[in-house]
Amino acid sequence: MTTFREYRQAMASGVQPSYTVPTLPSDAIPFQGERAGFVTRAIAACIDVVLVIITVLLTAAAWWMISFIVNPSDAAFGAGRAPKVATMVVYGYFLNVAYWTVGWATGGRTIGNLIMGVRVVNFRGERVRWAGALIRALFCTVFPIGLLWVIVSGANRSVQDVVLRTSVIYDWVIGIPGLSRKPPAPPAAG
Amino acid sequence: MSDDAESERHEVVLVTRPAPARPANPFSVIRDVVSNSVGMATYTATTMTSLIEQAVSSAVETSLNTALDRLVPTIADAIIERIDLNRIVLDQVDLNLIVNKALDTLDLTQLVIDRVDVNAIVAEADIDAVIDRVPIIPLANYVIDEIDLPQIIRDSTSGIAGDAMNTARRQSVGADEMVSRIADRITFRRKARKVDAPGKPNSLKDAFLEELEESTPPVGEGEKLL
Repeated sequence: MTTFREYRQAMASGVQPSYTVPTLPSDAIPFQGERAGFVTRAIAACIDVVLVIITVLLTAAAWWMISFIVNPSDAAFGAGRAPKVATMVVYGYFLNVAYWTVGWATGGRTIGNLIMGVRVVNFRGERVRWAGALIRALFCTVFPIGLLWVIVSGANRSVQDVVLRTSVIYDWVIGIPGLSRKPPAPPAAG
Repeated sequence: MSDDAESERHEVVLVTRPAPARPANPFSVIRDVVSNSVGMATYTATTMTSLIEQAVSSAVETSLNTALDRLVPTIADAIIERIDLNRIVLDQVDLNLIVNKALDTLDLTQLVIDRVDVNAIVAEADIDAVIDRVPIIPLANYVIDEIDLPQIIRDSTSGIAGDAMNTARRQSVGADEMVSRIADRITFRRKARKVDAPGKPNSLKDAFLEELEESTPPVGEGEKLL
């Protein structure tokens, strides 16, 4: 506790007050960096999958509309013009893998992760590399049931986490992915 | 030894003989009479003198005192009227010394506390004039800095108004812990889960981690899980 006299002297000598604007609610600080639990991760995954499904449906709609331009003489109106369901499913799986790979390899988060405040890190606590992200995305897409292992795991790890030595941690602070420059040093406190 | 003392003791026998009466000398008788008379006269004269002196002096003193009582004030007034006492005091007296001596012997603070009604003085004081001299804006900045207003605003807005995303995250964190607890109870796991992240997470920079360690508030379970 500085007295008002000390404060005024510090201000008079040109010291700038250091306002440390908190980036986190104080009640959320204690569990930052811990491995996330099942519910958060499941919701994040669901958000991602829903986004992928929406994208697939939009793609199908776009495909259907474009087909009128490309092949206007075709008599078929509905099912004949729309892409096959199997194609859409394969496309969806592919899209999901690509989306998760890009999300985890660039910022460590997908949109679902970002909304739920979690991030994927490797065994060093760093961002997973592209190959690791691709393998994890494939594994998660093909074997989503592996997420259930979080419930019984002693360390909140899914099957994919156990195999690939990755972790999903709570990280509510949204950093800038790939930014190597450090923020300017805060001025000395008065 | 005592025998020796006994043997050395001498007896002294005093024999008195009455002196023969001398014939009276007439001169000496006259001399005695004269000298006695002179002594008596001297004593009487001395005594009388001192008595007279005493009476006179007391009479003179009384009358003098009466006279002085009447005269001295008049004279003193006349003198004081004719001289510049202020000038004399200023010239001749070391006022600083006297005042300092007086101040040294007095406990002025206690004196003021005992004798002065401070509340009455404050009631009469022009508070507005005082406030006009107070640097209000620096004072406000100081208060804001000391109570860490940004953190308070952040906490209150995120807690009451509700940042929707943070609220959802909080609820899911609470659900995470609940699911973990239930699963641990079913599987009879007694150890706490190892949920520490490996290494240092990328976006939690060193400074933030230090700040986090310093400023981690004592959060109760209910508060944490909302």
